[in-house]
Amino acid sequence: MSLLLQVVSAGLSVGAVYALVAVGFGVVANGTGAVNFVQGEFVMLGGIVAGAVDERWHPPLPVSVLAALLAGAVAGLLTAPAVTRFSRNRNPELITLATVGLAVALKAAVLLATDRGTYPLPHFFGERPLRVAGATVDTQTLWNLAVAVVVAVALSAFFRRTRRGTILRAAADDAEMATAFGVSFGSTARWVFVLAGALGALAGVGLAPLSVMSYDSGTLLGLKGFAAAMLGGLGNLYGALVGGLLLGLAETAVAGYGSAGYGDAVAFVILLLVLFTRPTGLFARRSVSRV
Amino acid sequence: MAARDVPTGRLRSLRPSAPLVTGVLLVAMPLVFISDFAHTVEEQFCVMLILLTGLNFINGHARMISLAQAGFYGLGAYTAGILAARSGLPPALAFSCAPVVVTVVALVIGAASLRLRATYFTMATLGAGYVLYVLFGRMTWLTGGPNGLLGIPPLSESFGGTTAMYVIAAALALLGTVVAHNVAHSRTGRALRALGASEPAAAASGVRALRLRLFAFALSGCYAGVAGALQAFNDTFVSPSPFGFFTAVLLVVGLTVGGAGRPAGPLAGAALLTALDQLGTDYAGYESLIAGVVFLVAVQAFPDGVSRWLGRVR
Repeated sequence: MSLLLQVVSAGLSVGAVYALVAVGFGVVANGTGAVNFVQGEFVMLGGIVAGAVDERWHPPLPVSVLAALLAGAVAGLLTAPAVTRFSRNRNPELITLATVGLAVALKAAVLLATDRGTYPLPHFFGERPLRVAGATVDTQTLWNLAVAVVVAVALSAFFRRTRRGTILRAAADDAEMATAFGVSFGSTARWVFVLAGALGALAGVGLAPLSVMSYDSGTLLGLKGFAAAMLGGLGNLYGALVGGLLLGLAETAVAGYGSAGYGDAVAFVILLLVLFTRPTGLFARRSVSRV
Repeated sequence: MAARDVPTGRLRSLRPSAPLVTGVLLVAMPLVFISDFAHTVEEQFCVMLILLTGLNFINGHARMISLAQAGFYGLGAYTAGILAARSGLPPALAFSCAPVVVTVVALVIGAASLRLRATYFTMATLGAGYVLYVLFGRMTWLTGGPNGLLGIPPLSESFGGTTAMYVIAAALALLGTVVAHNVAHSRTGRALRALGASEPAAAASGVRALRLRLFAFALSGCYAGVAGALQAFNDTFVSPSPFGFFTAVLLVVGLTVGGAGRPAGPLAGAALLTALDQLGTDYAGYESLIAGVVFLVAVQAFPDGVSRWLGRVR
């Protein structure tokens, strides 16, 4: 019983981070139709910036967190023109490919800048875990869960209820039509990549106290976050939330009850199963077409 | 593009074909650069050339980007290595099992994933490639795990050394290029390119999309199997690290920058990747930085690849 609780708690803990990464994928997919492979590197960047600021200047924790969010937003702001400007391309597949290149470059740049250094961050609410019915629950887990839920709700409201959100969705649905109505593609791309960058950094900041961040923490996380996004249906923000949590639970269940070594493969097996059986995600309505 | 690729009449005979250029290059290289080190690099070039020539079927002609090629490459290396080191099969037989096994696996993965639209196919191949990569590292009882697989015998007792390995690698690379050239200029190759250009148009002309893509994907897997077996016998050691996500991306980068779908594309791409690899051993970290930036700019600036400037090669 306590093993079950432990698995659930650990699963929700990583799952919340996957959910945040998956929401980041969903935002970019909603705005441009592309899969943003830089998402995982945004997470890494956020964690490292927060850790580095904390290590160098020892400011109060919120300052480190804000610095990381700022770094993520700036990285997003730079990503948008980098992956769309060169050829003025609006082809989601070309943008997707370009983000792969940028992700590789960003990771290498951080490797060179940090010299493979690792950056820890203290827990937000103290190191002492809570004890619930014989299982230990990390306070950071609760924080990450809360952040993931709040972010999914807020972003969903943003995309549904605000003028800018509607414009972004329209641009994803039919880029040419949106341009004809005077929506510049550049501004759409800037909006979604800045959002994605800040979201990624937020995930990184939440993850840093749980696992030490280094230049190569992002790639695998990004790929798993993408699997989570596909699980919930790419672009569906609540779906991303549920997908992330399910993925985290599945992974820790395999690691806890089966063999720890195969935990990493779970996300990709799930990704394949989803792609082969329900390419629009678990929660898609029949009428939804992939945009 | 089609008009450019299939010139007719007298002009055609004046243009060098990709196999001819490859053949001249593969014979000339070891004569110009003679040291053992140079032969290792040249062998690396042959392996890259085989990988990219294979990838060119699915990525270049059919225009479906596969990120599974690195995993297939690893599967080929492990199949050949395990059979040669653990089963007592003659090395030459172990070598030839590798492309067979990888082709079968590619058929299975392709049958499931080629029904998907292009982007989702790429994601599925990413997943499949990564699962293979995880298995290489985790199935320690079979693969030796992260420490690698040791004890692979040389390909032949009487026929060893880097020079001999280069001859084998060069012969296989040339064979691969000739086969690719013939496929590209066959009815199947033309149908494949038509499919890559426009699926509805090709389907309307009676091209059976799924079956043809499956053929291209299996062929790319077969090439990766050969490349992997070569690598295994060359190093007499296999470890999981060269078969991960980065290599998968790098192969697509090489082919895209070289010119996906162009006859000389794999040649230019293999040269680029081999050079990058040499750079990487001296300046770790800069390799990926350069690869990333080059890829970022190249896919957007020239989606057709640099071998456009080698446009005369057919």
